Amino acid sequence: MTAWATHIGVIMFLAMMVLMALRMPIAAAMFIPGVIGYWTMTDSAATLNFLKGNAVARLTVYELSVIPLFLLMGQFASQGGLSRDLFRAASALVGHVRGGLAMAALLSAGAFGAVCGSSVATSATITQVAYPHMRGAGYSGRLSTATLATGGTLGILIPPSVPLVVYAILTEQNIAKLFAAATIPGILAMLGYIVVVALYARRRPDLAPPTTMTTGRAKWTALLSIWPIAMVFLVVFGGIYGGLFSPTEGAAVGAAMTLIAGLLKRELNTQGMRSALLGTAETTAMVFMIFLGADMMNATLALTEMPKMVAQWVTHWPIPDLTIVMGVLLLYVLLGCVMDELSMLLLTIPVIFPAVMALDLWGLNYEAKALWFGILVLMTVSIGMIAPPIGLNVYVVNNLAKEVPMSETYKGVMPFLVWDALRLVLLLCFPVISLGLVKLLF
Amino acid sequence: MNGALQGLSRWFGLLGAGVALLTGFMTFVSVFMRSAFKYPIPGDVELTQMGIALAISLCLPWCQSERANIIVDFFTQRAGPRATNWLDGVGGLALTLMYALLAWRTSVGALSVRSAGETTMIISLPMWWAYASLAPGLALAALIAFGQSLQLLSGSKSGGRT
Repeated sequence: MTAWATHIGVIMFLAMMVLMALRMPIAAAMFIPGVIGYWTMTDSAATLNFLKGNAVARLTVYELSVIPLFLLMGQFASQGGLSRDLFRAASALVGHVRGGLAMAALLSAGAFGAVCGSSVATSATITQVAYPHMRGAGYSGRLSTATLATGGTLGILIPPSVPLVVYAILTEQNIAKLFAAATIPGILAMLGYIVVVALYARRRPDLAPPTTMTTGRAKWTALLSIWPIAMVFLVVFGGIYGGLFSPTEGAAVGAAMTLIAGLLKRELNTQGMRSALLGTAETTAMVFMIFLGADMMNATLALTEMPKMVAQWVTHWPIPDLTIVMGVLLLYVLLGCVMDELSMLLLTIPVIFPAVMALDLWGLNYEAKALWFGILVLMTVSIGMIAPPIGLNVYVVNNLAKEVPMSETYKGVMPFLVWDALRLVLLLCFPVISLGLVKLLF
Repeated sequence: MNGALQGLSRWFGLLGAGVALLTGFMTFVSVFMRSAFKYPIPGDVELTQMGIALAISLCLPWCQSERANIIVDFFTQRAGPRATNWLDGVGGLALTLMYALLAWRTSVGALSVRSAGETTMIISLPMWWAYASLAPGLALAALIAFGQSLQLLSGSKSGGRT
């Protein structure tokens, strides 16, 4: 029985991989083999009965409602002109430095990432406001697109973060604590990217010509104009960390506040409202379709007991525990190169997480280990967003900056990836980078 | 026919995101009332759960008509347009099957939960509403995916965006 069940599990998994490689939408590539496997393991009545309730069970999880709400918040912030204000303030601050506009793009991406949970949305938003200025100032295409694609990952590295919400739900961890654990590594990521730009611009000054300095008064006006987004950020995260409300409530408050801010600034017109709603609709549906597909696949895999066997197998490798984690992260980087990030998390975390939790890592307790591992995984996910051959952010940016070839962007992304790898090793060796703030806040 | 379905899906999408927004505002008011008067909107959690389920299902057709469901195109980059269209047509049929199966089964689920009379804990909303709210979005998405697949497989159109 068990060997037979494991075979079915393996066949299903392979079928899913083949279907995905053949352009079948990922949701269906997980769902269809999942249904067939379930049917084979049980019978038609049990399968049909399972399908009666699983979609409802999946879509009425209270914590998941943060996803559409955070998406709305990001859309309103973008359509309401808040992202443009951020870029203007950041370039008033650092624009005159060599490579300053690229640094400003990163700063505003980081600040926008603090109200937006999606890296694709952050890339698209910041590209729209920063790219024309960068090209206008004579920045090279390669540096511009690479900076913008990399800056986009700050959308998920800096909380709120959709992949982190997914991780929290899969592993039953506290979303607020995970957000806190992501904060310092996220800020470090941004600062490191800025250093990379500075080094880049020093070595190739021709790629990033200096721009004129903003005068004192204009600087203050630009800086003051970002108060709405600053306030949204303070209320949402102050409220969540201060225990005033849950992450879902925080997301609701944030969505409502950014909408009101956009309306008060008279920037959010009917057209903007429409595209904000439709943009949210599109991403929400896409995310939850993947949820439904992965849920079906996981339900069947659980029947086959394959996850349990993989977990046992991993924990009994005769190599040091930390090396196993490194292997897992390497696997994530490789998977992230060809697979989309959410389905990667949804498919692998139920299998890998229990295995990793069984390891002894720096003597951390269960929760600390879970939070720390979550941030490590988040970082590998963000690498997958910009690394060749398929970095989603690179696609998004190049789609908006059509005159720059994609190969140029990939070349430009390399120095940023070096910092990503370095940061991953740092966090692996010093869990306190992410856990310090959690300890301080909770 | 396809144009009409697409128009309908746009309305569904606007409505879906609108419902999510309304749910957000409801929560916003509830949080405010809780901190100001220690009296939140009763059953706000249940209303959020139901509202978001409805919102998500209404969003599905728009995502489908934009063909925004994620695919992996890395391994088929060298395939010609005919092969790609054919694969996308088959992929669309698989999605059709998924939407249709879920639409059918959740509708059956709605009927059986309704006859069992299950309600939510705090404000006794009928549970079958949550089930029933999923069906229209799933069904429309199935129709749209089916129409797109037929077009792709018959080679009449390259199928819009990828």
